[in-house]
Amino acid sequence: MSFLQPILLIGLPLALLPVFIHLINQHRHRTLRWAAMMFLLDAKKMTKGLARLRQILILAMRVLAIATLVFAASRPLAGGWGGFAGGKADTLVILLDRSASMEQQNLETGESKRSTALARLTDLIEKTASGSEIILIDSATLDPVRITDADALRDLPATAPTATSADIPAMLQKAVDFLVTNASGRTDIWVASDLHQNDWKPGSGQWQALRSDLAARESVRLFLLTFPSIESNNLSVTVSGVKRRRTPEGLRLVMDLAIRRQGPAAEAGDQTVPVEITLNGTRTVEEMTISGPELVHLGHTIELGSGNELGWGRIDLPADDNPADNHAFFVFDEPATRQTVIVSDDPLTAEAIRAAASASIDPGVTHEATVIATTDIARISWEDTALLFWQAPLPAPDSSTATLLQQHIAAGRSLVLLPPADDGGAEVFGVKWGDWIGDSGSPLKVNWWRTESGLLANTRNGAPLPVAELSFFKTRLFSGETQSLLKLESGESVFSRVIPDAPSGNEDSAAATSAGDLYAWGTLPRTDHSSLATEGVVFFVMTHRALEEGANAVSRAQAREAGLAALSGFPKAESLSLGQETDSLLAPGLAAGAYASRTGEDDRRLIALNRPASEDDNRVLNPEALENLLAGVDYRQINDEVGSGASLASEVWRAFLIAMALALIAEAALCLPPKPEEESTPVTRAFSP
Amino acid sequence: MTRDSSRDFLDPAVLGKLLGLQLNARSPMMGNVSGRHRSPVRGSAIEFAQYRKYVQGDDTRRLDWRTWGRTDRYYIKEFEADTNLRLCLIVDTSGSMGYGETGATRLDYARRLSGTLAYLAGQQGDAIGLYSGAVGFQRETPPRRGPQHLGLVLDQIAKLRAGGETGLIKAIHEAAEKIQQRALIVIVSDLLVHPEPLREAFQHLRFRKHDVSVFHLLDRQEIDFTFDRPTRFIDLEGGPSLLADPTLIQRRYREAVKEYLDTINDIVNHSAVDYHRTFLDEAYDQVLARFLMGRNPKTARTAR
Repeated sequence: MSFLQPILLIGLPLALLPVFIHLINQHRHRTLRWAAMMFLLDAKKMTKGLARLRQILILAMRVLAIATLVFAASRPLAGGWGGFAGGKADTLVILLDRSASMEQQNLETGESKRSTALARLTDLIEKTASGSEIILIDSATLDPVRITDADALRDLPATAPTATSADIPAMLQKAVDFLVTNASGRTDIWVASDLHQNDWKPGSGQWQALRSDLAARESVRLFLLTFPSIESNNLSVTVSGVKRRRTPEGLRLVMDLAIRRQGPAAEAGDQTVPVEITLNGTRTVEEMTISGPELVHLGHTIELGSGNELGWGRIDLPADDNPADNHAFFVFDEPATRQTVIVSDDPLTAEAIRAAASASIDPGVTHEATVIATTDIARISWEDTALLFWQAPLPAPDSSTATLLQQHIAAGRSLVLLPPADDGGAEVFGVKWGDWIGDSGSPLKVNWWRTESGLLANTRNGAPLPVAELSFFKTRLFSGETQSLLKLESGESVFSRVIPDAPSGNEDSAAATSAGDLYAWGTLPRTDHSSLATEGVVFFVMTHRALEEGANAVSRAQAREAGLAALSGFPKAESLSLGQETDSLLAPGLAAGAYASRTGEDDRRLIALNRPASEDDNRVLNPEALENLLAGVDYRQINDEVGSGASLASEVWRAFLIAMALALIAEAALCLPPKPEEESTPVTRAFSP
Repeated sequence: MTRDSSRDFLDPAVLGKLLGLQLNARSPMMGNVSGRHRSPVRGSAIEFAQYRKYVQGDDTRRLDWRTWGRTDRYYIKEFEADTNLRLCLIVDTSGSMGYGETGATRLDYARRLSGTLAYLAGQQGDAIGLYSGAVGFQRETPPRRGPQHLGLVLDQIAKLRAGGETGLIKAIHEAAEKIQQRALIVIVSDLLVHPEPLREAFQHLRFRKHDVSVFHLLDRQEIDFTFDRPTRFIDLEGGPSLLADPTLIQRRYREAVKEYLDTINDIVNHSAVDYHRTFLDEAYDQVLARFLMGRNPKTARTAR
């Protein structure tokens, strides 16, 4: 418990005054020579227990009354949830979840979860931690920032809203790292979050180390200032797959538009939503009817008209309790040439791939494919290549070629590793080639392929690809952490998506989210290996899906998830979207919006930053899951209400005054003499002779 | 009898006032000389008792000749025999009798009561004895008649000192055993003893056919216990002292006193004891007057 006037606690010993007075009174007794000791002894014996207890209680009440008076005068502070504060910490580490979901508001007060958390924490600092060192670690930057003034907390760019997601285990790890490198003494860690599963990442491998780290630190107390979801009818909008197409009727913008309903209204009937579409500053409103929890417009088309060859736009929904998910930004430009590079010495393979990759499916988009020999890698134009087929021995991890491949992936482009005929090479991305299996005589039987996602996923209308018609004769095994896309009956994977080693830290994870896809194919589009080339549909789709994923990275108009590294490859990025005044205060890439990066006369890139799709997932950690995550850690959870007027630390002198009054009333009641009729009947009157 | 400074417990005014009242026994007394009190044996007093047939050996002087003349039969006419009274005073001299302010202690009150009674009895020609004491200090003066003995008893009363634990029960039992003939036994005490031994002691006296009277001397403060601040009570009989807050134990104290007095009432009722609860602030001459009148058959109703 903290006090605003702790100096007055010096008066606390005054509480012992009644005891001293009692003892003095006991010693000020008179002495009387007495004959009727037998009655005295009887009375004393009879009243020993009860009277003594009564006397002790009276003294206790008097002591309590004075003590509470002194406490009240010292202006005590306690938590609104039962006085958790428990004393002043040397260091206060605030972990602030700035994810988009924290912008959910209480419509009555206009306060969001984030702003409420900031108000609480500011109040807490002002009242209880005025002399403590305040460290802020926000989810967007993960940079520990020292706060000198509590008021600064609300005004800092580091506490402003963002369109990012959070990584709570990474934030806690940062806090632990800070405590390790700084002698912080007694430390309180306050985590302000809405407990969204995608932010807390219960599957993260970091939790085990965090648990042991936090449990081992006795001087560290963990407080969770959590905000349960508000039951409301929230609408969110997302835009994906934005393409500019040139048709005989003119330029069109095609996109996948999804509007989701949450809360009680999700199961209600049809709802007409006015959707505002802004295109290069021109607004139009289109009414859409949503029935059920989700409305998905695949291939939603917008006529661009003349003069709108490139630009940006945003989709806005009417205001509701979470403004952060009411808009989605998009950008469009002349589609870049979809360049595929095939590094191979096998003409049959290279030709099959080249044929598939260079075939255009969209008249407005140019597809090109280049075959480069393994000895001629230096010719690769890395900047323009959206998809790279690598049929060559894998380079050593520390080689320059391996670095180039890693940079290619990190830039968001796609890479398909094909099996070289003989030498598999070293291990890169955790992948290493093994032995060839099968022969050209008898095909290997397909057991299963992944239909919900990946290169072999079903088409948009739900129809499966004709994978079953494919025949595989030879395939090369590979090891590594992969997600299988197709498995043979023998259990071996033929096609897999490679999961690169999980990086740590937000910047790296941000890079990981924008990283390109990496695939390992065990077979080749040759007739002696498979029927991929002859049954060309599946091969064509796989090639173009891989190309499509990598194309965004080379496109002049790119859609990215907001994050600290979202604009890292785009120098001089400027915001195109209006009404985003706070953008200038934020670190680049943290706010949703449309951005333009111009590095030269002709080199202009447009970037649309939106919140990660996971932020629309409203699933929160249940208490059991939270308990499991922090098993063994001494933590206290404080469930707050958004916009409530409660305070983490409030003055509780009134409670002390009430306690004092109650103590005095109890003392008076205990001091009351026995029933008057008993007391006023002297025995002499009853036994007068 | 000459006035003695040690006998200041005798007030001539009170004596003069009370001399007119006779000290009577409630039951026949066995005296050794003729006196004012009824005797269980028949004698030659003037008060007729009964007729009975003459038997050989009877004193012919006591034949009722008139009856012989009328009936020609011999009858002996019997009369009540009058005898003297043995007044045995048992005075408690335990430490608790020293309660009270100097000059007005319980023992001083007991001296006045017992001294005045002794004087009145002496004036009636009755024998007076004195039994007193506490544990470790017993005093015993057997009952005798005569002014010289009265002086001795009064001197003994004057020399009584309070101290030590009470020896009242023992003194009563010893008196009951030593006083062979019926006597009027007057006990002057605070009776601050456990009631059950007291019941046995009274029954012992009644068994010996003694007429027992008790002056129970009490101070009102001992009963009402109206102290209002912590007090250390020092036991007058040498027991350990006790520090107590009277306000806390007052109710229980009064309950204990009430229970004790109820028991005493029960004991004296069942033992036919002439019981007089006397508060020290009462005038002792009035207490004695009430006592004497209560024992006189003619004035008993008025006195009660």
